[in-house]
Amino acid sequence: MQYQSQAVAKPYFIAAIGLFVGQILFGLIMGLQYVIGDFLFPEIPFNVARMVHTNLLIVWILFGFMGAAYYLVPEESECELYSPKLALLMFWVFLIAGALTILGYLLVPYATLAEMTGNSLLPTMGREFLEQPTITKIGIVIVALAFLFNLGMTMLKGRKTVITLVLFIGLVGLAVFFLFSFFNPDNLVRDKLYWWFVVHLWVEGVWELILGAILAFVLIKTTGVDREVIEKWLYVIIALALITGIIGTGHHFFWIGLPGYWQWWGSIFSALEPLPFFMMTVFAFNMVNQRRRNHPNQAAVLWALGTSVMAFLGAGVWGFMHTLAPVNYYTHGTQITAAHGHMAFYGAYAMIVLTIISYAMPMLRGRKAANSGKSQILEMWSFWLMTVSMVFITLFLTAAGVLQVYTQRYTDNPQPFMAVQERLELFYWMREAAGVVFLIGLIIYIISFFAGSNEPEQA
Amino acid sequence: MRAATGTQIFYSIRPCTFVYLTLVVLSLVTWLTGQLGLSGLSISLIVLGLALIKGLLIGDYYMGLRGLTGVWRWAIIVWLVIPGALITWAFIKVQ
Amino acid sequence: MNLSRPDNERTSKDAQYLQAATHDRIYPPGDLAIWVFILAELLVFAVFFSAYALTRANNAELFNTCQLTLDANAAFINTLALISSSYFVMRAVAAIREAKTQQCIQWLIAALAMGCVFLIIKSGEYVHHYQAGINLRTNLFYMFYLSLTFFHFMHVIMGMVILTAVTIKTRQGHYSAAEHTGVETGASYWHMVDIIWLILFPLVYIMR
Ligand code: HEM
Ligand code: HEM
Ligand SMILES: [Fe+2]
Repeated sequence: MQYQSQAVAKPYFIAAIGLFVGQILFGLIMGLQYVIGDFLFPEIPFNVARMVHTNLLIVWILFGFMGAAYYLVPEESECELYSPKLALLMFWVFLIAGALTILGYLLVPYATLAEMTGNSLLPTMGREFLEQPTITKIGIVIVALAFLFNLGMTMLKGRKTVITLVLFIGLVGLAVFFLFSFFNPDNLVRDKLYWWFVVHLWVEGVWELILGAILAFVLIKTTGVDREVIEKWLYVIIALALITGIIGTGHHFFWIGLPGYWQWWGSIFSALEPLPFFMMTVFAFNMVNQRRRNHPNQAAVLWALGTSVMAFLGAGVWGFMHTLAPVNYYTHGTQITAAHGHMAFYGAYAMIVLTIISYAMPMLRGRKAANSGKSQILEMWSFWLMTVSMVFITLFLTAAGVLQVYTQRYTDNPQPFMAVQERLELFYWMREAAGVVFLIGLIIYIISFFAGSNEPEQA
Repeated sequence: MRAATGTQIFYSIRPCTFVYLTLVVLSLVTWLTGQLGLSGLSISLIVLGLALIKGLLIGDYYMGLRGLTGVWRWAIIVWLVIPGALITWAFIKVQ
Repeated sequence: MNLSRPDNERTSKDAQYLQAATHDRIYPPGDLAIWVFILAELLVFAVFFSAYALTRANNAELFNTCQLTLDANAAFINTLALISSSYFVMRAVAAIREAKTQQCIQWLIAALAMGCVFLIIKSGEYVHHYQAGINLRTNLFYMFYLSLTFFHFMHVIMGMVILTAVTIKTRQGHYSAAEHTGVETGASYWHMVDIIWLILFPLVYIMR
C-alpha cells in the first residue's frame, strides 16, 4: 500500500463479502422454494427472498465499486484521499441504511414498510431491483454524492490518468442514472422505460466503464505492461460499450408498448454489445501474455482473466442468445433470462469486485504484494468452485428455459405455466445442487483470508 | 526516394486524383440511372456493383489498404463483399 | 494483437522509407485503435444495410413507392460533397508527409467545408420530411431510411469533430513529416464516413 488513506477500502471490501454471503443464502432459499413451494412459508415468502437476494447483490457490488475506487484513485493520483474520514462516515451510513432496509424487508410486510417510510409522499417503491424505500434511495444518493465529491477532490489535486477518468465517469453515470429511479409515472409504459434507464444503462453502459477501469488497473499492476498500451485498449472498449449499449437499451422496448422501430434499433445495436466484452477478453489475455514480470499474486491474475472470459460468456454470448426481437418474442421473461442474468452479473460485476479485492486485500492487510502460497491455492480453488458451479447454474437454467419456451410458447398446443414448471423440477433441483457447490466455494474463499496468514509471501 | 513499395504508394497523388475522377463519374452514372427511371434486377445489381467498386477504390487508395500484407488488407473488401452478397440475394429473391 | 504499433513503424521518415523498402506494410495508416473502431462501426452499417435489403424483399411495393418521394438530386450533390472531401483529406495527409503544414491545414478546411455542405443539404431533406409529417413510425421504409441516414448523419458530425481537432493540432504544429499519426487517424475515420455513404446512396435512393 503506497498511501495511508487507501486503507479505507478495507471495510468496504469486508462488507461486500459479508453481504455476498447473505445474497447466496437467500438465493439458495429461493432455489429450494422453486421445488418445495412452501419452504419457510410464511416467514420468508418467495417475493421477499427475491428482493433480498437481488438487493444484497446490488449493494455488495456497490460496496465493492466504492472500495475499489478508494483503493485505486489515491494510487493512480499519487496523493492521499481528500478525506478518509468522510469515506469512513459514508461507509457506516451506507451499511446501516442497507441493513435497516433488508431488516425492513424481512420483518414487516412490504406494504407496511411502504407506509412506515412515507412512500406515498414520493412513491418509488415496488419495482424490481428498485424496491428500496424512498428514504433509502435518498440516502443512496447522498452517499453517492459524498463519495464522488471525495474522489473528485482527490483527483483534482493529484495526477490525472485515463483510468481514474474512466472510472470517475462511470461512477458519475451510475449516480446520474440512479436518479431515474425517482421517476415513477402512472403510465406503465413510461414507468418501464425509465426503469430500464436505470437497470440497462447501468449494467450495459456506465458499469462497463467501471469494469474496464478496474480491470485495466489490475492488469497494469500485475503485468507491468506500458500504461500507454493499456489506456488505448480502454478507450476502444469504452467507446464500443457506449455506442452499442446506449441504443442497445432498445432490446427491452420490444413488447412494452413503445413504437415498433425499437425492434430494429434494439436488435441491431444490442447484437453488437458483445463486441466490447469480446475486446475485453482479448485485452486481458494479450496483456498477460506480454507481461514484463510475474507478479507474485497469481490469484489476482486468475480472477482478472476469469472476469474477462465469464463476462464475455454471460453478457456477450448468453445476452446475444435472446437479444434479437424474433427470438426474444419467445424467450422474454423465461428461465433463459434468469440464466443470462446470473452468468452476466457474476461474470462481469461480482468477479471484477473479487478481482480487485484479491489484488488489494493482501496489501491492505499489511503484506508487500501477495498472500502466502497456501492462501492463494485456497483462493484459486474457490475461484474454480464458484465459477464452474455458476457455469452449471447457467446451463441448467438454460436447459429449463429452452424446454419452457418450447412447451409453453412455441409448440402448436402450448401448456399452461404451472404445468410446464412441474416438468422442469429436475433442472431446478440440479440448479440448487450447483448452488450448494457455489456456497462451498464461497466459504473456501473466506477461509483463504485466514489460512496461511502467518506464512511468508509467495515469491 | 520514390520507391514503389510500401507507404510510398499511398503518398502518390496522381493515382488518387484519378480515383477521385472515377468516383465522380461512377456517381454520375448512378444518379442518371435514377433520373432516367431505370429499374429492375439487372439495373439494380449494376448500380450495386458500381457502389462496391467505389468502396474498393476508397479502401485501396484513400484508406491505404492497397499494398498491405496480412489481415488488414481484407478489412474493406470483406466489408463490401458480405453485405453486397446479402443485398444481391435479397434483390434476387424479391423479383 | 498490439494496439500501439511497433516503434519502428513510426519513428522517422527515413526509417519509414527504409522499412517500406525492406519490409511489407502490415498496418493501415493511422492509429490501430481507430481501425478497430472503424471495423465495429462498419459492422453496424453492414447489418443495417442487409436488414434493409432483406426487409425490402418482403415489402418491395412499399419500398419502391416510398423511394420515389426521396430527393435523389440532393443525395447526389451530397455524394459529390463527400467524395470531394475525402479527396481533400487525402491531399491533407500527402501535404503533411511533405512537411507542408500550411497546405495540410488548407486541405483540411476544404474537407470540413464539404462536410458542412453535406449537413446543410441533408438537414434540408429532413425538414422537408418533417413538414410532410413523415417520421420513424410512418412505415417500414421510412423507418429504415430515417434510421440509416440519421445514423450516418451523426457520423458525419463525429468525423467533422475529429477533423477539426486534427486541424487545430496541425495549426499548433503538433505534426511533422516524421510524426503525423493523428492526421492519418482522422483521415481514416473520415474515409469510412464516405465509404458508408457510397453504399447507402444507391441502396436507399436508386436501387429498385
Ligand atoms: C454485464 C452485463 C450484463 C448484465 C449484468 C446483464 C443482466 C441482465 C439481467 C439481470 C436481466 C434481467 C432483467 C429483468 O429482471 O428483467 C437482463 C435481461 C436481458 N439482457 Fe442482459 N445483462 C448484461 C449484458 C447483456 C448483453 C451484452 C446483452 C445482449 C447482447 C443482454 C441482453 C439482454 C436481454 C435481451 C434481456 C431481456 C430478456 C427478456 O426479455 O426477458 N444483456 N440482463
Ligand atoms: C448460488 C446460488 C444461487 C441461487 C440458487 C440463485 C437463485 C435465484 C433465484 C431462484 C432467483 C429468482 C428467479 C425468479 O424470479 O424466478 C434469482 C434471481 C437473481 N439472482 Fe440468483 N441465485 C444464486 C446466485 C446468484 C449470484 C452469484 C448472482 C450474481 C452475482 C445472482 C444474481 C441474480 C439476479 C441478477 C437475479 C434476478 C434475475 C432476473 O431478474 O432475471 N444470483 N436467483
Ligand atoms: Fe439490456
